[in-house]
Amino acid sequence: MSAFLSYLLNGLAVGCAIALIASGLVTIHRVTGVVNFAQGTFAVVAGLCTSSLLGLGFPHGLSELAAVLAAAVAGLLTGLAAIGKRGTTPLASLIVTLGVGVLAYAVEIVLWGDQPRSAPGLAGSVTVAGAHIQTQHLLVIGVTAATFVLLALFFGRTYLGKALTACASNPYAARVVGIDVRRMGLLAFALGGLLGGIAGVLVTPLRPISFDTDVTLIVNGFAAAVFGALTRPVIALFGALLLGVAETMAAGYGYGSHQLEVALGLMIIVMIVQAGRRSAISEETV
Amino acid sequence: MTRFVRPAALLLVAAVTLVLPATLDDSALAVYILLGLAAIVTAGVSLLMGYAGQVSLGQGAFYAIGAYTAALLSLGGVPPLVGLLAAPVAAAVFALVIGTPLLRLRGHHLAFATLAMQLILLSLAGQLEFTGGDIGLQAIPQFSLGSFEASGAAAYAYMTWAGLAVVMLITHNVISSRPGRALRALATSETAAASSGIPVGRYKLVVFALSATFAGLAGGIYCFYTGYVAPGSFPVLISIQYIVMAVVGGLGTIWGAVVGATAITLLVQGLDRLASLPGMPTYAPSVLSYAVYALVLIVVVLFMPRGLVPALSRRPDRRPRR
Amino acid sequence: MIEVQDLVVSYGTATALDHLTLTVGEGEMVALLGPNGAGKSTLANTLAGIIAPASGTVRIGGRLALIPEGRQLFPDLSVADNLALGGWRSGLRDPSSVYELLPRLAELAGRRAGVLSGGEQQMVAFGRAMMSRPEVLVVDELSLGLAPGVTADLAAHLAELNRSQGLAVLLIEQNARLAFELCSRAYVLESGRLVTEGACAELADDPRVAAAYLGGAVT
Repeated sequence: MSAFLSYLLNGLAVGCAIALIASGLVTIHRVTGVVNFAQGTFAVVAGLCTSSLLGLGFPHGLSELAAVLAAAVAGLLTGLAAIGKRGTTPLASLIVTLGVGVLAYAVEIVLWGDQPRSAPGLAGSVTVAGAHIQTQHLLVIGVTAATFVLLALFFGRTYLGKALTACASNPYAARVVGIDVRRMGLLAFALGGLLGGIAGVLVTPLRPISFDTDVTLIVNGFAAAVFGALTRPVIALFGALLLGVAETMAAGYGYGSHQLEVALGLMIIVMIVQAGRRSAISEETV
Repeated sequence: MTRFVRPAALLLVAAVTLVLPATLDDSALAVYILLGLAAIVTAGVSLLMGYAGQVSLGQGAFYAIGAYTAALLSLGGVPPLVGLLAAPVAAAVFALVIGTPLLRLRGHHLAFATLAMQLILLSLAGQLEFTGGDIGLQAIPQFSLGSFEASGAAAYAYMTWAGLAVVMLITHNVISSRPGRALRALATSETAAASSGIPVGRYKLVVFALSATFAGLAGGIYCFYTGYVAPGSFPVLISIQYIVMAVVGGLGTIWGAVVGATAITLLVQGLDRLASLPGMPTYAPSVLSYAVYALVLIVVVLFMPRGLVPALSRRPDRRPRR
Repeated sequence: MIEVQDLVVSYGTATALDHLTLTVGEGEMVALLGPNGAGKSTLANTLAGIIAPASGTVRIGGRLALIPEGRQLFPDLSVADNLALGGWRSGLRDPSSVYELLPRLAELAGRRAGVLSGGEQQMVAFGRAMMSRPEVLVVDELSLGLAPGVTADLAAHLAELNRSQGLAVLLIEQNARLAFELCSRAYVLESGRLVTEGACAELADDPRVAAAYLGGAVT
C-alpha cells in the first residue's frame, strides 16, 4: 500500500511536468494552429539555466525565476521564427520549430556541454500513511496546480487572456476588432516558453536533464495534449497525469523497460481513434 | 536543345559516378557511400512529402528495419543477396501493416506518430535479445555473390550507387505514371483528389510503403558496409536529416534527393574538417552539424519554400493569415 | 469620412476590386449594392485594414468599425466578453453604454455568443462594433438571414445613431429596399467595378437597378 502511494505521488509529479509541457503546446496550438516541436526545448533550457545559476551561487527562487524567464524568451524567439514571417503555413511552422529544436542542441552543447546536469531541489521527504514522499514531488504537484489555476484565471478573467482566446475562437473576428493576431501568437509562444520553463525547473532536481532530453519531454507532452485534441488544456492535464502515473506504476512494478512504448503506443491509438471520428474534410483543416 | 542536353548530362553524371569510387581514398569513399545511402532514403521522403503531402519524422525506423533484417538473416547463415533483398521487403511489409491505421492521421499528427514509431522500435531493439540490445549486432559477414566477395569500400560504393539508380528509376516511373500525376493532386488537396475519384487511401499507403522500401534497401546496404548495426546508428536526428535533405533538394523531384543529400553531406563534411582542426573544442563537430541542419532547414522552409509548396500549402483558408 | 480612390485589390491573379472610387461624407449614410461575388466584402475588409490594397488609396477620416458579414462573433466567449473585446482599439472595456443603446444585450450578457439566435448575434456584432466608439461604421449584410422585424429594429437603431451622433454609415446590402429606405446615396458594384451611382431616389427609378435589385425575387 505504501509503495502504491509513493508510486502514485511520484507518478503525479511526473504527470505534472508532462502537463505543463502539454499546456504550453495547447496554448500555442490554440492561438496559432502550430504544433510546437521545440516545446521540450524550453524545459531543457530552463533546467540547464537553473543548474548553472545555482552552481554560480545564486539563491534558490531567483535562479528558478531567471531560468523560467529565459525559457519564455526562448519561446518568443521560437515564435518569431515559426510565425514571424507572413504566409507560413502551420505545417511549415512545425518544421521550423523542429529546426529551432535542433539549433538549440548546438547552443546548449556550447553553453553546457553534452552531459546531463542536475540541480538541487527541495531536500528531504515526508511520510504519509507509511509512504516516503520526496518533498520535491509535493513541490512539483503544488506549483503545477497553482500554475493551472493562474492559467485558468488568466484566460478566463483577464482582458489579454480573453483576447488570446478570441484569436483561437475566431481569428478573422479578432482582426475585425483590431487584435493583432500575429502578435498574440508571439505572446502565446512566450507563454508556452514560460510553461515549458516551469516544467524544466521543477523536473531537473528529479531527473538530470541534458540537451537531448527534449525528445522524451515533447513526445510525452504531445501524447497528453492529444488527449485534449490539442485544444483542451484540462483534458490534457488529465491525460498527462494518467500518463505520468501509468509510466511510474509500470516502472515501479517491474515493467519499467517498456514505459515509453506503452505511452507512445497509447498516444498513437488515441490519435487514430480521434481521426476516425472526424471526417476527412474537417481534418484537412487541422 | 534539351533533347541532347539531358541525355548528355545523364551520361556525364553516370560516368562521374562510375569513375569516382576508383579514384577516392577510403575515408572519401565512406562519405561517398553514406551520401548515396542518404540519397536513397531521401528519395522516399521526398516522394512522401511531395506526392502524398505528408511528413514522416520516422523514416530512420525503416532504415533500421532494413539494416536489422539483412544483418539478422546474414548472421543466421542466409546468403547475403537474400538478406539484401529481404531488407526492403521487410521495411515495405512493416510500412503496409502500420500504414493502414497510421495513415488515417495527417499533418502534425502523422509526424508525431511516425516519430513515436521510430522511438518505439529503437527502444525495443535496445531491449530485445535477438537484436543484440544496446550493443546491437556485430560481425555481419561481407556481402558476397557467388564467389565474389565485396571486401573493399569501392565495391559498396558501386552497390550503393546502383541501388540509387534503381530507386531513381522507380521514382521517375512513379512520377510520370498516371497514378503519379493523381498523387500530385493528393498533395495539394486530399478532398479534391478524393472527390475526383482517386483512391486516396490506397495511393497514400503505396507511397508510404515505397518510401519505406527505399529506406529498407539503404539500411540493407548499410549493414553489410559497416558490418555492424545498433540502435545508436539510427537516432531521431537521422530522420530529421532526411527531411532537411528532401526539403533542400526540392520535394517530389527525381534529382532533388541526390542534390539535397549531396549538398548537406558535403556541407557537414566540410564543417567536420573545420571542426577537427587543432584548437577546436571536442564538441565542435556535433555542434556544427546540428547548427547546419537547423539553419538550413529553417532558412529553406521560410525563404525558399518552392520545393515545400506541395506538402505544406494544403491548409485551406480557415485561418487566413496575411 | 471614407475616401476610396482607384482602389485595386487582388487575390493572387484574380482581381476582386478594379479601380474603385467611392466616398462617404461626414454624417452620411451610403449604400453599396451588388450581387454575390461583386467584391463588396472585399471592400469591407480593405476598409477595416484586414486586406491590403494592391494599388490606389484608402483614406479613413475617423475611427472605423466593421460589422462583418456573417456576424463573426467569438462563439466560445460570453456576450459581455465579445463586447469588451470590441473595445480593443478604443480602450473602452465597460459595455454599459452599449447596454443603454441595446438593452436586450444586458439580458444576454452572460450567455455564450455561439448559442444565440441569428438576430441576437447580429445585435451582439452591432454592439461590439459600437464598443470601438466609431465615427464611421461599415455594415456588411445587416439583413442577411434575419427576420424582417429584427432587421427593421437594427435599421432603426442605425438611423437613430446617424441622426443623434452623426455616425457615418456604409451599408453593404443585397436588400436594396432596406438600403434605399435608410440611405441617401448608393453605389452599385458588379464584378469588382462600379456600374452606377447616385441618389437613392433616382436609382430606384433606374430600370436596370429596379430589375436587378427591386424585382419580385429580391427580398
